[in-house]
Amino acid sequence: MKHKDIKILIVDDEVAFANTLAQRLQIRGIKVGIAYDGEQALSKLKKEELDVVVLDLKMPGMDGMEVLQEIKRVYPNIQVIMLTGHGTDKDEEQAKKLGGFDFLNKPVDIDTLEQKIKAAFKEKIERNIAAQ
Amino acid sequence: MENKNEDLRFMQLRFIGKILAGFTHEIKNHLAIVKESAGLMGDMIQIGKTAENDSSQYLEIIRSIEEQIEKAIVHFKYLNRFSHRMDTPLSSFNINDCLEELTALLHRFANQKRISLEKDFNKDLPSINSSPAILHFLVFNFLEDKMSKLDKNSRIIVKTDLINGSVAIRIIPEGNVLEAETAKTPCIHEINDYVINMLSGTISTQGEETVITLPIAAT
Repeated sequence: MKHKDIKILIVDDEVAFANTLAQRLQIRGIKVGIAYDGEQALSKLKKEELDVVVLDLKMPGMDGMEVLQEIKRVYPNIQVIMLTGHGTDKDEEQAKKLGGFDFLNKPVDIDTLEQKIKAAFKEKIERNIAAQ
Repeated sequence: MENKNEDLRFMQLRFIGKILAGFTHEIKNHLAIVKESAGLMGDMIQIGKTAENDSSQYLEIIRSIEEQIEKAIVHFKYLNRFSHRMDTPLSSFNINDCLEELTALLHRFANQKRISLEKDFNKDLPSINSSPAILHFLVFNFLEDKMSKLDKNSRIIVKTDLINGSVAIRIIPEGNVLEAETAKTPCIHEINDYVINMLSGTISTQGEETVITLPIAAT
């Protein structure tokens, strides 16, 4: 599996954070799109096939849980990693119940995030194979 | 009376918890950006983008770090002022300053609901002699209630003025009011009445607007 095969979407209302994280992951060979709120994320998912979504929890308008629920309803194979500055154990539990792949806290170690993205991508591929 | 005091203590702790949660969220976000920005500079060095050849990109990242630190300092300033309001039960203070720090600390909660929290302060208000910590709590109760009932893309204006020789805080929601939610804290109206009596003030409502009046400090 090559990094360049992985297409992800970062969803975060903190513009500077989303942009900087995207640049760091692009340097690591991952193709990255950005959405600054939940509605924008769902609209991008309609237009483009993506593997993994890195999703903030607290955002204006639709919050991360609502976006997660909608992604898993419409695109069950897309893997979602929650990345939040405000997460509680209860949030983590709820995200996992809704089908979230993992739950990380900000600030995150970039190598850890990269590994989680790779693992999430692998999970997506396996699910696609199993579904065929 | 004992039950009311217990309810009040619980509600005040809940309020402080909310303020701290919002503050830590804000600071974590700024730190996350600083960390990623520093990391990005490290990545750039590793891939051979030197400061000599790519100075504009480095300068842009450095400016972003400075901006995040400045923003974090402003939040620390507001939290510090908010915390010191609890130092003494009574003090002489300017109501605009008190509301300034509260609205700043609640900005994120409002933003999450896409509600704009706006200020319209009368700059010529005299100081009042009262309890700023209790006042923070009271105003928070009304702001939280109005935020829970307003649809997104609404706004709440916090206005201060002099009305009939008293200092007045007007909390004016503007936008679609959603169907009344079940109150999360059923005793909140009783608590607010109890608190306003402690402050020797009044609470009145005009439609969706709430007006809190407080006596001016004796000179």
